[in-house]
Amino acid sequence: MLAYLELILYKTYADLKAETERTYLGFLWWIFEPILFMSVFYFVFGVLQKQPVPNFVSFLLVGLVTWEWFKACVSHGSSVIYGQYGLMQHIHLPKILFPIILILTDSFKFAFVFSLLLIYLWTSGFSINIAYLSLPVVLFTELLFTMAITFWVAAIVPFVPDLRFVIDNLLTAVFMISGVFFSAAQMTEGVQFYFYLNPMANLIEDYRKILLHGEFPDWSSLMIINAVALLGILTAMRVIRRFEYIYPKITP
Amino acid sequence: MKKIISLCDVGICYRKKRGIFGEPFWALKKVSFDLFQGETLGVIGRNGAGKSTLMRIMSGIVKPDCGHFTNYGYRVSLLSLQLGFISYLTGRENAILGGMLMGLRRKEIESKIPAIHAFSELGDFFDKPINTYSSGMSARLGFSVAFQVDPDVLLIDEVLGVGDEEFRAKSTHVMQERIRNDNKTVVFISHDARLIEKLCDRVVWIENGESKMEGKPEQVVQEYHRYLHSNSQK
Repeated sequence: MLAYLELILYKTYADLKAETERTYLGFLWWIFEPILFMSVFYFVFGVLQKQPVPNFVSFLLVGLVTWEWFKACVSHGSSVIYGQYGLMQHIHLPKILFPIILILTDSFKFAFVFSLLLIYLWTSGFSINIAYLSLPVVLFTELLFTMAITFWVAAIVPFVPDLRFVIDNLLTAVFMISGVFFSAAQMTEGVQFYFYLNPMANLIEDYRKILLHGEFPDWSSLMIINAVALLGILTAMRVIRRFEYIYPKITP
Repeated sequence: MKKIISLCDVGICYRKKRGIFGEPFWALKKVSFDLFQGETLGVIGRNGAGKSTLMRIMSGIVKPDCGHFTNYGYRVSLLSLQLGFISYLTGRENAILGGMLMGLRRKEIESKIPAIHAFSELGDFFDKPINTYSSGMSARLGFSVAFQVDPDVLLIDEVLGVGDEEFRAKSTHVMQERIRNDNKTVVFISHDARLIEKLCDRVVWIENGESKMEGKPEQVVQEYHRYLHSNSQK
């Protein structure tokens, strides 16, 4: 067990370092790339259109940054076991290590961007408030939910590689309906019910409550998401364990 | 003699097409033999007979679909060169990563770094990214790491030495020394009959997914050659 923990940490370090060595700007890309990405949305929704939501840029950034963390993990997750065919032919490793390393790597990068977001918010008039105490809970809930989906995706894609295309498009679809660039207040009540069935929509709203309005998150929905996520993680781990010795037999 | 691994009528089924669908294909059907402490067991057989699949079963990567496979609690690994190497990392970092992937603790592999550095003869390049290496240099690093990771049972699929002429001679020499060491348990696949006779204590002949014969190297190799000869005449 301890040996695997060491391996997870070292491989995460190695992957992160390899990524910084690949470009001239190195780790600065972890910051520039999200900034570039966010500028596009800022331009389209912040400049081209008149927005009904006050402080729209901050509103948008909170949604984008937290969404991108989830998206990066899930979309990388689709090739994380599938892509290790070569390695799996030479050594036996618990396959669950691959998505764990992936999530650590992406979470580390997210930590950078999230810190930048906080600094941006503080400089544009949103100060640290009492509701920040609940921020770790929301972050943890998103981590659990991300783990659940990523583990499931990693577990299934080796059997049906075609799913990779579906997953990327599904992510875009969920992105559109997670309230990254609109708020639930703009919807009719009938639609709101379905809107809140999406865990990411709840989480993004919770982040905004804390960071922009100084309010505490909606505890009951957080509890439900945690419970569902935990169940998802446990079942996905069982599935991966069940196919532990099958994955090396599936030729990509 | 202490038994390390035993196989009894082991078979394993793959799928012919991509994925899990498609026709089943039995890469191994009925293989039986035991591996004992300290011996060097040779495995011979034609291409596609299932030798490499057999290695994967023995190293615990896949499980057989029928028969019984038992490992009596030993660490068995394939000799894998350049395992998990990442081209943007230095030789030292790749050595640590490779060693940990092959099952060593971080402390263990770090204590072996000086030996790896010395054996690979990479000098200052050891702390440079391996994408600046020639393929021969990568091969030397790969071999040095794999050689230092010393499992209880070493499985070798053909490759004994690597690199340019000089390093190949050196690496082949140390590997042969290790194989001949009486305390070392080794399984060695090769098409080189002379090498098998020279290095192995016992030989198993795999034909078409079945263990066809087992015994003294000279006898099995002789039978194997006779069989190949009679087949090519048909």
